[in-house]
Amino acid sequence: MASVTPWLPLSFITTASRLGCLRADKRDSMAPAEGHAARYADGDSSRFGCLSALNDRAKPMLITSFLGFSLTLTATAAPLRYAEDRAPSHLNPLFTTTMSEARINELVFEGLFTDDTELHAVPLLADTFRSSPDRKTFTVDLRRDVVWHDDVPLTAKDVVFSVDAYKNATTASSEAGRLAFIASAEATGEYQVVFHFVAPEWVPEDKLRFKILPAHRFDGNPAIARAHPFRNQPIGTGPWRVGEFLGDNSIRLEQFADYYQPSQLSEITMREVADKNYQAKLLLYESLETLVQVLPRDLAALQNDRKVDLYPYQTNSWWYLGFNEAQPRFRDPAVREALGGFLDVGRLLAPIGTGDLLTGPFVKSSPFYNHDVPARPFNPDASRARLTSAGYAFDGRQWTKDGVPLTVRLAAVENLETAQDVVLQIQAQLQSQGIAVQTEFLGNAEWKQRVWRDRDFDLILSQWTFDRNEDIFEQFHSGGSRNFVAFANPKVDALLVAAHSAQDPQQKKTLLRQVHAEIAADAPMVFLWTLDNYSAMSTRVQNVIVHPFYFFTWARGWQLAQ
Amino acid sequence: MNERDVKSLSLHWGVWLLGRAATVAAVLLGAVVLVLAMVHLAPGDALDAQGIPDSLRPVLAAEWHLDEPVWRRVILQTLDLIGGDLGTSAAVRPGSPVWEVISKPALRSAGWLGAAFALSLALGAGLAVLPARPRRFARAAMGSISLLPVFLLAHLAVHTLNEGAFTAIQAGWIARPAWFALPDQDSSLRTGLAVVLLATGSAAWIEVFGAAEHALTRARRSPWATAVRARGEPLAPHLRRHLALALTTQALHHAAFLMGGLVILEKVLLLHGAGFILWDAALLRDSPVVAAITLLAATALSLIRWGGDALRVLLDPRLRRER
Repeated sequence: MASVTPWLPLSFITTASRLGCLRADKRDSMAPAEGHAARYADGDSSRFGCLSALNDRAKPMLITSFLGFSLTLTATAAPLRYAEDRAPSHLNPLFTTTMSEARINELVFEGLFTDDTELHAVPLLADTFRSSPDRKTFTVDLRRDVVWHDDVPLTAKDVVFSVDAYKNATTASSEAGRLAFIASAEATGEYQVVFHFVAPEWVPEDKLRFKILPAHRFDGNPAIARAHPFRNQPIGTGPWRVGEFLGDNSIRLEQFADYYQPSQLSEITMREVADKNYQAKLLLYESLETLVQVLPRDLAALQNDRKVDLYPYQTNSWWYLGFNEAQPRFRDPAVREALGGFLDVGRLLAPIGTGDLLTGPFVKSSPFYNHDVPARPFNPDASRARLTSAGYAFDGRQWTKDGVPLTVRLAAVENLETAQDVVLQIQAQLQSQGIAVQTEFLGNAEWKQRVWRDRDFDLILSQWTFDRNEDIFEQFHSGGSRNFVAFANPKVDALLVAAHSAQDPQQKKTLLRQVHAEIAADAPMVFLWTLDNYSAMSTRVQNVIVHPFYFFTWARGWQLAQ
Repeated sequence: MNERDVKSLSLHWGVWLLGRAATVAAVLLGAVVLVLAMVHLAPGDALDAQGIPDSLRPVLAAEWHLDEPVWRRVILQTLDLIGGDLGTSAAVRPGSPVWEVISKPALRSAGWLGAAFALSLALGAGLAVLPARPRRFARAAMGSISLLPVFLLAHLAVHTLNEGAFTAIQAGWIARPAWFALPDQDSSLRTGLAVVLLATGSAAWIEVFGAAEHALTRARRSPWATAVRARGEPLAPHLRRHLALALTTQALHHAAFLMGGLVILEKVLLLHGAGFILWDAALLRDSPVVAAITLLAATALSLIRWGGDALRVLLDPRLRRER
């Protein structure tokens, strides 16, 4: 049924955001024709959003757009269809392990707090909240107008139950680590919860994002098995509820009529399209409305289609080439630096897209990125000198030490898009300098065993993706569970521990910038780049702002024109 | 035939049936053990494939017996299967009973396979009985298509149909068809395409055609055909029997190839059958699902071979005499 949209405020805000972004676009290399595509501004204050970038010249346009959207956009019965490479195995937020699960959870479930478009924490299921003076207790009053998809009201018991379920050892939730800072939670009223923290928490709202579960669906028992029927009969408090699991692995979500705030899209369908190369085609054929991530090779085709809009977004992910320091030859920093110096990183990036070249373990827009660290230059002469100082000799064809040629095995995870192009480029660049490179592409399971557990590799090409906290402790502390490159530096260890326990954000920023400098000097890996990411949508989808990590956080404001 | 002969014949057939049953059981057991060993020996396991955090590994590995040595895991799972317990899925649909995960897709796959099987035989036989000139033309036209691998044929067909339809839609010549765009949209065209491609691709059709043509030519030129003609009797019933025999033999050879082709085709055309699940399960190291689908496929193949053998014995009096 067609009707004039009742959701003007969000239309206004998102229009404003896009216009602000349009202005920021001029810094970008994209052609003016793609001006609608948002490019998030750098810098701490407007790092992910561009609402604040709105200027006076944009305001008349804003008002026009505001009126235009209000009159032309309609809530329709047509579904918004988006593609995932692989359908979620289950829809229980306790056991989320893939981004496809995280994305659909964002539509069905809600947490106490969420992000606003500037990525600041704002209450969602919470109504009011306050910290105790010692910052170890946090009281949250819940909204009273929230009901679950089966119309049972949300109460404090659900929140306490959720905390217990996530932390329950028998449940073995993959998200348990996100609640490690909570010692306990108690319901002090029907709509009031008190959290007790392990240590003082200065901004607990930033961490209270975990999805709340309905206690009544589990009979209040927080020890939840993966096989619990909730996995495919989930109910949440979100704007959409699960309508149907279709035979082709698709999942149909329908608008939840009793949701406490208005939402526009009447139906959302998740389609499983295993062939990532084919997803862009389906968008062009208008068989999909949304493509979460565009492959660099599809950018040109989508950019030139007048029925598709591109939406750039910044993620906290960066690519690297890691050395296995468990191997004696890579313990020598001269060897690592020499190999890094043989690589022209700009040329490696060019074939796969655009992005920022990095000098350390943070993205350039991060507050922790140390801009004083100089970029490592492409300098084969210096690299040759370093290898010679490390005891290697060049015989005109290859580098050898004690008669043994310097050869490396380079592994990459096979589902890292476009990794193949980069691996082949690295192979070509190193081989032209006399270093033989054997390449291998590993599936997820093989990668986990060979690289993470057995540490059976010389060089790895991979990517780290972080949430808003950008916690690199596990990757670079000598005892970190994800430090499979065996990096060990006592100074970095001490700085990471200090940063971990720092309560003052400024102090944490200073410490992590030092970490950046120390790691860059030690060169445990060649830090490559953070890629410019794009999602693509049919022009029929409007008022779009995408969350850089969960994608659908602000989908409530999206509209689908007829 | 006296009573003694009847007893002897019954005993003979009883022994034969028992022997075949024992062979089938051994084949099924061997297939399951081999596949389970391959899944468990491949690097990584279901926990790795799902990206389960390392902190949870000890608990879940114990729960899913992943901390046991490979040989023990294989034996435990094989014994469960022998006892009729297919287990629960570890990664494809974590926690769901395997039977629930595979039953409907397996039925769908069986339908596609059966249709492709029938179409392949019908096409092969139908063209083999054509007169010489159109037969040569059909061989030339279809032969080159049939020699292409199934996955390549599928990609070509999807691309051609999509691009053609999209151009026509853009030009306003046609309304958007319900099947558009392949392979995303569930439609009878997609299913039909799968059946046709499976029946013709990877040399399936040309081999059936070749076998049927060869059988008919040999039968027509044989001395007994000359004798039949000389007696003025119709040749067709004899030729039909020879053709049926050749097609049965060919079908037995092709059953396994068609199953393999279907796995690829289901992946390319996004058909959610048992092959699609098998592919995912292998990547995700979901050994209970892999083992169950293997068991189903091996059982189906054994039954096809058994049925085919019985049919050949019925069709060929020489084989009956040998028995």
